[in-house]
Amino acid sequence: MDAGRHPLIDVVTNAEVIGCSGEPGAFRVRVRKNPRYVREDLCVACGLCVDACPQVGGNEFDVGLKARKAIHRPFPQSVPAAYAVDRDACLNLLGFLSEKQRKRLEKMRKVKQRKQGDYRAAPILVCGHCSDACDVDAIDFDMRPEEFEVDAGAILVAVGFREFDARKLGNYGYGRFPDVVTSLELERMLNASGVTQGHVIRPSDRKTPERIVFVQCVGARGEGGRGYCSRFCCMNAVKDSMLVRQHDPEVQDITILYTDLRAFGKGFDDFVKRSHDEQSARYVRGRPAKIEHVAETGTLEVFVENTLAHEQTRIEADMVVLSVAAAPNDGAAELAETLGIELDRYGFIARKDPAVSAVETSRDGVYVAGSAVGPQVIPDCVSQASAAAARAQRYLTGHRFEEEAVPVEPMDLSGPPRVGVLVCHCGVNIAGVLDVEELAAYAGTLPDVAVAQTHLFACSSTGQDELVELIRDHGVNRIVVAACTPRTHEPIFKETCARIGFNPYLLEMVNIRDQCSWVHAKHAVEAQTKARALIRMGIAKARHLSPLHEGEVPMTRSALIVGGGIAGIAAATDLAVQGLPVTLVEKTDRLGGRLAQPNLKLLYPTMRSAQEVLDEKIKRLKKSGARILLNTEVEGVTGFVGNFEAKLAGAVDERLAVGAIILAFGADLYEPGTEYGYRNRDNVVTSEELERAFFGDADTVDIEAFCARPDGAEPKSASFILCVGSRDPEGFSGCSRYCCPTAIKQAMELCRRGIDTTVFYRDIRTISTGAEEMYREARGMGVLFVRIPPGDKPEIVGKKRAEGVRCYDDLLGREIEVPTDLIVLSVGMKPRQPATDSFHDMLKASVDLSGYFLERHPELAPVETAVEGVFLAGTVQGPKDIVDTVAQASAAAAKASVLLAFDKVKLDPMIAGVSREQCRACGACVDICPFHAPELVEENGVVAARINGSLCKGCGTCGSWCPSGAITCEHFTDRQVHAMIDAFFEPEPCSDVRVAVEGQVVT
Amino acid sequence: MSATRSGNSRPARKKAVPTAKGAAPTWNPNLVVFACNWCSYAGADTAGVSRIQHQPYFRLIRVMCSGRIQPGFVLRAFEKGADGVLVSGCHFGDCHYVNGNERAVEQFKKTMDVVKLLGIDEGRLRLEWISAAEGARFAQVINEFTDQVRALGPSPLSNGRQAADVPAVKGVAIDG
Ligand code: FES
Repeated sequence: MDAGRHPLIDVVTNAEVIGCSGEPGAFRVRVRKNPRYVREDLCVACGLCVDACPQVGGNEFDVGLKARKAIHRPFPQSVPAAYAVDRDACLNLLGFLSEKQRKRLEKMRKVKQRKQGDYRAAPILVCGHCSDACDVDAIDFDMRPEEFEVDAGAILVAVGFREFDARKLGNYGYGRFPDVVTSLELERMLNASGVTQGHVIRPSDRKTPERIVFVQCVGARGEGGRGYCSRFCCMNAVKDSMLVRQHDPEVQDITILYTDLRAFGKGFDDFVKRSHDEQSARYVRGRPAKIEHVAETGTLEVFVENTLAHEQTRIEADMVVLSVAAAPNDGAAELAETLGIELDRYGFIARKDPAVSAVETSRDGVYVAGSAVGPQVIPDCVSQASAAAARAQRYLTGHRFEEEAVPVEPMDLSGPPRVGVLVCHCGVNIAGVLDVEELAAYAGTLPDVAVAQTHLFACSSTGQDELVELIRDHGVNRIVVAACTPRTHEPIFKETCARIGFNPYLLEMVNIRDQCSWVHAKHAVEAQTKARALIRMGIAKARHLSPLHEGEVPMTRSALIVGGGIAGIAAATDLAVQGLPVTLVEKTDRLGGRLAQPNLKLLYPTMRSAQEVLDEKIKRLKKSGARILLNTEVEGVTGFVGNFEAKLAGAVDERLAVGAIILAFGADLYEPGTEYGYRNRDNVVTSEELERAFFGDADTVDIEAFCARPDGAEPKSASFILCVGSRDPEGFSGCSRYCCPTAIKQAMELCRRGIDTTVFYRDIRTISTGAEEMYREARGMGVLFVRIPPGDKPEIVGKKRAEGVRCYDDLLGREIEVPTDLIVLSVGMKPRQPATDSFHDMLKASVDLSGYFLERHPELAPVETAVEGVFLAGTVQGPKDIVDTVAQASAAAAKASVLLAFDKVKLDPMIAGVSREQCRACGACVDICPFHAPELVEENGVVAARINGSLCKGCGTCGSWCPSGAITCEHFTDRQVHAMIDAFFEPEPCSDVRVAVEGQVVT
Repeated sequence: MSATRSGNSRPARKKAVPTAKGAAPTWNPNLVVFACNWCSYAGADTAGVSRIQHQPYFRLIRVMCSGRIQPGFVLRAFEKGADGVLVSGCHFGDCHYVNGNERAVEQFKKTMDVVKLLGIDEGRLRLEWISAAEGARFAQVINEFTDQVRALGPSPLSNGRQAADVPAVKGVAIDG
């Protein structure tokens, strides 16, 4: 939606890329736009054509669960909002016709062409219901595919994924049994505005299924030729099972058949725990051998071996949901060929080296984001998208958008309110239900209304002209537009107002379409009454509106990056290459953090040397021109977005002015203390210590000495214990994400040296690209994996030295003891202290329950904090591996660069303000504002709150919280809201008798 | 003063029948709905886009965040004669302003206490979280709430106002 409205974004839908030439910075991309047969510029998305269309076609969005007309809107929030004609279903388009009909029609057309001598003679239309119904003549069957060229500095591939075709796995019966559905189909059912309005139904008889079985990893982790893990399905199944339960109490029994429960994201484990606590689903570990249909009962039977209970079971189900994996999208391969980029072995877009950059493809200037590179969860997709944008900006500098400032003389709008009202017909969208003329006439009778008019389409260009005329001719100083929703159309009207110098904040929109005529079509009388009331309320508010002016504060166009690890390096490089002054501050005497020697030897899954990757990144950083300050710390930060001042101490001693701050100081590793006898047993080490041991003498790693036995004999065996310090209800309840693949990598290394290795795990969460394959390889090599029940901890045998590990083997179903010469604790992460606390204090950015910095929104704003101008990169936000860290760092850089692109910060005037006279300096607003906009300041001996306009987001919460009523929330003031309430119940006297009509009752 | 619901200038499809004294069988409540811009107001729009029909006796007032909805707004609505007030916002964790809706809950509790003190049935005040995608839920909440308040009858503060939005001006009952 936002993209569709953005002045700098052209959205071309229904299009494909058919050619690409040139080089980074100057690509020429050939695009073919396929006709949608509806003119986007004319279509007002009223839906009349759909009512008229006689033809029903397939429906890919509602995954075949609901029929769709041949002319349709792909989905309710689509951009552009225009409708489109389904090529395969429309009677007018050849796709629908049989071979014979097609030939005949072609022939008729040829004849017509010859007669008229025009190559583009209007086609003979078989059906014209939609064009007849359309009020704005938007339907055009003459459209042909159009080809055009686009100049581009960089190309970003975000083609997403397709779901795996479960038909390929015949044993699951998808496609044969109607009641075997995919997770996507279930998702559409659960959607409140979807096919079944949120009810789960069994496709075969449309009844609520009582027993549902979820099958995980369909088409993933080795099935259907795909080795990878699809990342999102586990959580999706858990979430869906909870939703189903909430929605349909008739569903008695939900079973989830899983292999490992991969709840790796922030807060995911807590979510799974909730599902366990609420008993929303029964979890059974196992993959079904087959699913069969029982003809007598009409139900399904799932044959599965419960690998924890060691029994072959048959689970009866009314419906089976297959959690299908992500597969490369259709056309990804062709696109890759056109763009000249490489694919990985599954057909996803390949990246050069995800540890160096999460978004670089094999071709310079072409970037990739989201699930085009393989399955991703939404927060990671969003981070990557921003990262890709950051990298792309490299080739766009010089193309920077300069704001054209056309100065307009502000109009004089003083004096008592004179309201101009414009009521929109919106074709028949409004006028089909409401009597628009009557509404305007009614509005004309209300006090202070100078003029009330109607327009067929107020948002069209003629409608805008009329608005201008209305303002100029009638000398009005308030505008009320009664039309559709302000959420989509207010910007259009505001822009028109601003263009002629009419303060746009003197405009009020009244929603009589989306929230009136569309939803009360069956109650025309009541709808009319409601529309009148809404208009009356809108006018009442408009009378109390006051002109607002956008403020500005200067922006210091430079950034401070705190931390010189991989995240800081990546963020600093991305910003500095754009020519922005960047200062990177590192506490220690070297860059690289955890990647630098001797911390990390090889990176999974590429097995590239960490040092090599780091060197490459540092080289890029140095070239970028960023200022690097080693041995330096940030002692204090004051100020706000655009105007921070950081006090640096150490190698330099200075006060640095910056516009944005990126926190990238990483996380600490968990300290096991006496856990597993780490302190007092020599041969119990952490994964970090083991990694260091790998750096012996270059090639001949001295690992043997590291875990040598006291009697001098060669070590024979080693054990890894996973989730130390993670997934611990008493400590950090989340997943540290990096430890599973790291442990596997290390285990393989030991295995190669002839040491028998056993890994004790709860769930193996090899979610990152290539990690699942590595897991399989490790199993193949002979690394032993022992699953322990989630609540248990393995026990260490031996007094002085660890001699073995004793635990309950979940898969064998009994207690086992494994002798071992070395125990490696795979330690999780924990928030870095005291840095987290001190930056939390200095910047007021909040931290979550686990102590990591809290992002503003997990999906919409994963790298922003609630404090404007402060961004998060890497593990300061929560545990993640190197690839995800690098992606997030680039995303943070992208977000910061958007701010830093301008030399001023524009301030929205719809914010809170304090009346110093009324303020009692109680500080309530200071306490509750998550953005830290209010502060108490002393002026002339009086203490009162002041709201910092560059921090205030205009939610108005402080306004309602203030006990002395000292805070005004502009555009939503108490007075304005009260006026609306009053206007609902106390209509103004209506002097005009026109409104007193039939149906009224005289007392 | 006995005002009844009336039609409008269009040929009235449903003619209002002046009812005898006492409870009118077709009594419809006056409801005020407060909604935050980002979720519940958007949810109401979604109901529109999907044409999910619901009862038309409420008037929606948009604020940026549910945290803005202060007790004064709700009480004023009751004072002016509202039969029911619905406060709505984003689901927890979804608020555009981090935690405005958590504040809204606190405000709501305070408001509820006053409302009860005033002798207004607590069934007349309700708090709901509705997301931008939940058009159907918006419609359902409106329908439920309308029925719920209808069953309670006119608010004791409504001054005998009987039907949705019927003003009585200069002896003439005019709709709207
Ligand atoms: S924005 Fe919806 S509740 Fe805060």
